[in-house]
Amino acid sequence: MRLEAMAVNLPEVAAHPNRAPFTGVLTLVDEPSTRPPSGARGHRVIFTRKAALAALPSLLGMAVDYAPSWDGHDARRKCGIITAADVGGSRLHVAGYLFAKDFPEVERQMRQCPPGAMGMSWELADAHVEDMRAEIWTLTRATFTGAAILLREKAAYRNTSFELAASRCRSILPRTAAQDGADAGATRRFREAGSTALRGRTTRKEETWNHRQAKAWPR
Amino acid sequence: MESQTGESMAALSEGMERMEARLEAAAALFERAAALIEQQESERTGEVRKIVAAIDSGREAELEKKLEAAERQIAELRAQIEAKSETPAQSARRTVPAATAQFLAKQGISTLEAVEAGALDAALNGLSLEQRIAVKAQLLRAGVVS
Repeated sequence: MRLEAMAVNLPEVAAHPNRAPFTGVLTLVDEPSTRPPSGARGHRVIFTRKAALAALPSLLGMAVDYAPSWDGHDARRKCGIITAADVGGSRLHVAGYLFAKDFPEVERQMRQCPPGAMGMSWELADAHVEDMRAEIWTLTRATFTGAAILLREKAAYRNTSFELAASRCRSILPRTAAQDGADAGATRRFREAGSTALRGRTTRKEETWNHRQAKAWPR
Repeated sequence: MESQTGESMAALSEGMERMEARLEAAAALFERAAALIEQQESERTGEVRKIVAAIDSGREAELEKKLEAAERQIAELRAQIEAKSETPAQSARRTVPAATAQFLAKQGISTLEAVEAGALDAALNGLSLEQRIAVKAQLLRAGVVS
């Protein structure tokens, strides 16, 4: 399996009260949507792998939003942020944080709903359609402008998913503001085979991290 | 005097209604044309400004609303038709201008519940062709003759 991934390194804070990590499948690539998306004039769409990979940088840092009825987007209810994305097989996985303290109703819904009930939906701008007369539109270029958490049955792609991590505790080393500032905003990009890269960390990165930390202490 | 004022008011309101309907039709036409132009432009370039991978529940709701309105309108029209067929005289009294009713009364047609074609033609004999057409059109609109 080929995997293409990209992530924004945010400074990690143990047990951050307003960060609830999530993972999800945002969409499928090279496969037609189950139903026509809104704005596609009744056509189902195929988001090509190439277009999805080209659009990955635009996805990082975009917000996830929700509608109170969980049936669509509401760009004014941004309840989280996407910090990582990868295309593995036909799935575009995303990871990020929910603002759990600011939006307790979202976290509650995620914890209470039956497993597999929630899905995700993208929002694209300036999409290019290969042939607008085709029964199924092929998107060859697009820019991600956001994503939404919604009921899976309301998503144009039925095989999307959204899950909160069981615990809010992530890593773990106490870090200084200087370190955080140095690392924040950096992006990492990697290509691997047969792995789920988003949750793992390479040894090399850990070494770099430890080195930076050691350098920061004397200051 | 009063009847003349009422008549002119009725004509005015009828004119306004016609104008409103025409404006509505023109606005709908403009909207359709704008959508068509946008679609043609988009088809030419293959560009779509915004797509959201959620099913169009807004459109579904809009269609449901339209369907509901259409059904309500159909029910209202049915009720009107039924009411008209039950009491044609009432509706005739509502819509036939007073001058026409007076003229018909002078010609011996005092009730508009059931006007026979022969009697009507005889009553309108003294009028010019245009006047006959106008009176018959008014009676037709009122549902007195069909």
